[in-house]
Amino acid sequence: MIPFDFVYCRPDTLNEVTDTFKRYQNENKKAICYGGGSEIITMCRVSSIHPDVVVDIKNIPECRVLEKDNFFLNIGAACTLNQIKESKLFPLLGLACGRIADHTNQCRITLGGNLCGTIIYRETSLPLLLSDAEVTTSGLDGIRRVPFQNIFDGRVRLKEGEWIVQVHIPVWALQARHAHIKKTTQEKIDYPLVNVTAIWKDDVLRTAFSGICSRPFRSSQIEAVLNDHGLSPEIRAEKAAELLPEPPYHDVEGSSEYRAFVFRNTLCELLEAWQNDRA
Amino acid sequence: MVTSIGKSIQRKDAWEKVTGFAQYTDDFPTTGVLCARLLTSPYGHARILKIDTAKASAVKGVKSILTGDDFKELHGPLLLDRPALAQNVVRYAGEPVALVVAQEESVAERAVRLIEVEYEPLPVLLTPSESLSQGAVLIHEKVTGYKRMLTDIYPEEGTNIASRYHIQKGNAAEALKKCEYIVQKQFSLPPSDHLAMEVRTARAEISSDGQVQIMTSSQSPYAVRQQISGAFMIPAGQIQVTVPFIGGGFGGKSAVMLEILAFLASKSVGGKAVRLIITREQDMAAPPSRIGLEADITIGADKDGKIQAAQMIFRLDCGAYTDISPYMAKAIAADCTGPYHMEHVLCDSLCVYTNHTYATAYRSFAHESYTFCMERVIDLLAKRCGWDPLEFRYRNAIHAGSTTPTQVPYTESLIGDLRKCLSRARQLSLWDAGSRTAIKQNTVKAKGIACFWKTENPPTDAISGATVTFNTDGSVNLVTGVVEMGSNGQTHLAQILAEKLGIPCEKVHVVLSVDTRAAPEHWKTVASLTEYMAGKAVLRAADDLLQQLRSNGSQVFGCPISDIEVSHGRVYSIRNPERFIEFKDIAQGYQAPDGTSIGEPVLGRGGMMLKGLSMLDPQTGKGKTGPAWTLGAQVVEVEADITTFSYRILSALTVMDVGKVINPESMRSMVAGGMAMGMSMASREAASYDSQGVPQAPTLRTYKLMHIGQEPDYQVDFVETPQDDSPYGMRSYAEHGLIAIPAALGNALSNAFGIEEVTLPLTPENIWKASQKEKP
Repeated sequence: MIPFDFVYCRPDTLNEVTDTFKRYQNENKKAICYGGGSEIITMCRVSSIHPDVVVDIKNIPECRVLEKDNFFLNIGAACTLNQIKESKLFPLLGLACGRIADHTNQCRITLGGNLCGTIIYRETSLPLLLSDAEVTTSGLDGIRRVPFQNIFDGRVRLKEGEWIVQVHIPVWALQARHAHIKKTTQEKIDYPLVNVTAIWKDDVLRTAFSGICSRPFRSSQIEAVLNDHGLSPEIRAEKAAELLPEPPYHDVEGSSEYRAFVFRNTLCELLEAWQNDRA
Repeated sequence: MVTSIGKSIQRKDAWEKVTGFAQYTDDFPTTGVLCARLLTSPYGHARILKIDTAKASAVKGVKSILTGDDFKELHGPLLLDRPALAQNVVRYAGEPVALVVAQEESVAERAVRLIEVEYEPLPVLLTPSESLSQGAVLIHEKVTGYKRMLTDIYPEEGTNIASRYHIQKGNAAEALKKCEYIVQKQFSLPPSDHLAMEVRTARAEISSDGQVQIMTSSQSPYAVRQQISGAFMIPAGQIQVTVPFIGGGFGGKSAVMLEILAFLASKSVGGKAVRLIITREQDMAAPPSRIGLEADITIGADKDGKIQAAQMIFRLDCGAYTDISPYMAKAIAADCTGPYHMEHVLCDSLCVYTNHTYATAYRSFAHESYTFCMERVIDLLAKRCGWDPLEFRYRNAIHAGSTTPTQVPYTESLIGDLRKCLSRARQLSLWDAGSRTAIKQNTVKAKGIACFWKTENPPTDAISGATVTFNTDGSVNLVTGVVEMGSNGQTHLAQILAEKLGIPCEKVHVVLSVDTRAAPEHWKTVASLTEYMAGKAVLRAADDLLQQLRSNGSQVFGCPISDIEVSHGRVYSIRNPERFIEFKDIAQGYQAPDGTSIGEPVLGRGGMMLKGLSMLDPQTGKGKTGPAWTLGAQVVEVEADITTFSYRILSALTVMDVGKVINPESMRSMVAGGMAMGMSMASREAASYDSQGVPQAPTLRTYKLMHIGQEPDYQVDFVETPQDDSPYGMRSYAEHGLIAIPAALGNALSNAFGIEEVTLPLTPENIWKASQKEKP
């Protein structure tokens, strides 16, 4: 159970959210956004966070959007992983959503929650990093729309009181060729040892990773190597592993050395499939 | 006449459970019940310098706060070495340090978080080898100072050894010298957890006249009564322990722990009712878990592939307190060879303290651990000898003329028929079709086989009992002290009774909950001994009942008792079977048409005490620890990717000699359940600790069990070699489906990847590591 009391708010408009944040900021109280709640419950149970206020954003129409216009697929932050998966509007993001937690939790966890949570893997960020996605945020200074990569360096970087309202994925990416390979320790439903997510744009491979390092990332250096057709898949995978932005992550699910081994294998698998297709 | 035995009779608890109406300990109303929560140690080993409860006490609604300073009693079933709350020192991360009783759960939890404890870290010991090394810190300063509850516990002064058992049969050292083939291997297996679906919990209340009432999720209600009575000098009759359904035990609920804390909590608030609840995370760290094990084994065979001798050292990691672990060390020693003929055996089995969470029984009582080691070396020895691993086991199977490691002579009834099991396994697993086949590039299918056996290690004087009463419709009520935790023992007992009385099983009503005041004592619901012990008591109760029915019948019919027959729910004289009386008309005594009352109401009772067991001889290990053995063979098939070291478990087979299949569907599912549990444990489960002894995966987010969808196909088959002294010849079987699964999986993976050093858990990473080491 959560052994402390907190205030629960459920605003109906973006402005009300801002007002709420302002009000509690003035009272020196910690307010956080509440989407699906799975992580808030976990973290409060084990005493990792002690919010004074949770602001439920599920009643705000902008946060529930899931529709395509001529240029973008717009997804509200309060859409659940399962809604995104079942909509089939962005198959690659659907694949990512379908491998986070189990079905019951996929029906609760929201896109915003997965991106902004404290659990380090944030696997829904990978398709966004690869597709030149943008985000609309709302904050104390109003609303802004920026490239996703500008506010994401492995975790979401926003100003105090600012939060994600929607993400926008350019239509070219929706049906682009893609791959999603997630390797876990042993159990299918688990955090990734290595998640390799890929999109091809004009036969150029873009890749983003989770699990292999302490934060999800996309690396232009790695992409340059992976697109070097003069080298064999093994060599490219080997070189990519040398270009990781930090040493491979190490925890109870897998050692650094083993993650590196899995990383190379997974890249090999990806590149060999690509090479076979091109041949 | 067969009414019940051999039929797939539905569980007596089926409807209550599938409809969700079944009530477990913490499902009962909480109105007026105070709530207790625990503060546990974050350190693996540390001195407690100071506990400040001032802030916690100030929280409104807090009724009392207890720490180790409040008591001096020590607890344990074998060795009194464990305080209810840590006294001056914590010996494992997760050890209870303080307890808060409050008006409600949230208040208790808030207060727990406000208790301030100052620790001074001490060196931690995380493997038995470390604990046994020169100069290792003593986890218990004076292990010989603790009171022993049974005479065969042997703590060693000035060491971390809580007990040791020694087996010496023949002359292993000499025999090994003459062997043509030798295998020598070391093993180190990590501890893991039981993870019953129902988290452990207990409630206590003390009435104003000193009657203690405990309701608990326990496999051992009578041990709860005994231990609380013993520790706190309360006459046992003043203590009433009740157990409703329990949501899985697997041995983990055989230890007495939360009950003691709940009792102390209630006592601290003037006897008010208190419910002690713990979180899943605490359940994984504070109450006892499964043992770890280290083993050094040398085994040798002659040029004909006959095993000659084995020398073994087992070092059991019992964690910070002994609980039942010394007896697990003894159990390993008593069965150390596995079900094979070996004339020369030398075995030392040690129970060693470490700074892990303390251990208790886990389904199969340590057999899964030593069997992994033993069956790995058997496989390697077969390979050295150039024999097929199944054939090699067949060749060396225990048989007439063999003795067990504790020198009990083999009889079919006592031990069972391994060769029959192996022949059947060979057939059903299509063994001869090949044990390793390439199915595509980098992918192979491979099989592994392993055998198991197990006898029990109860106290030599363990008891059970049963009472049977009649209802006015001629049906009966069966009351035993057996806890229903899923193993379906209660339904099997009903079948045994129905068969004996010659009535349909639906006419036997079973009291599913246990109340120590109402039900005759049943030692503990452990060791798969329900059908043997309680079953015998039930048969005796049935005999008693039949005798009384005959007595009533003889008086009604005016003929000698020997002429009276009871069957089909009727009492009649064999001289005139057309004239009969239904149970309902005679079970409560008989009323003649003219109103004359004849006979007496019928009440059956039966008890049994184990007989013929002995302590092991300290020099040779000679003796008999359990009533009989159950053995079998298991085969696992995997599909393995030899480049990535990942694998999928395709199928698993168990052939077990169960003596008599009294309920095919129930027994099949129980064995398959054991196989699934073994598969999960072997393929992924381990309690992992950092260098300071802090658990690294103390939640179900990171401690993974095998989930639905990943289960292989389970096949179960039975051999029936009756155990003469058991009801209907049935053997203990409920735990055994688990025992050799880790070994069979290990053997399959060793075969698939061509590596020798496989260890638990059999994760792709561990296999990859082994392959790196063994690279040519």
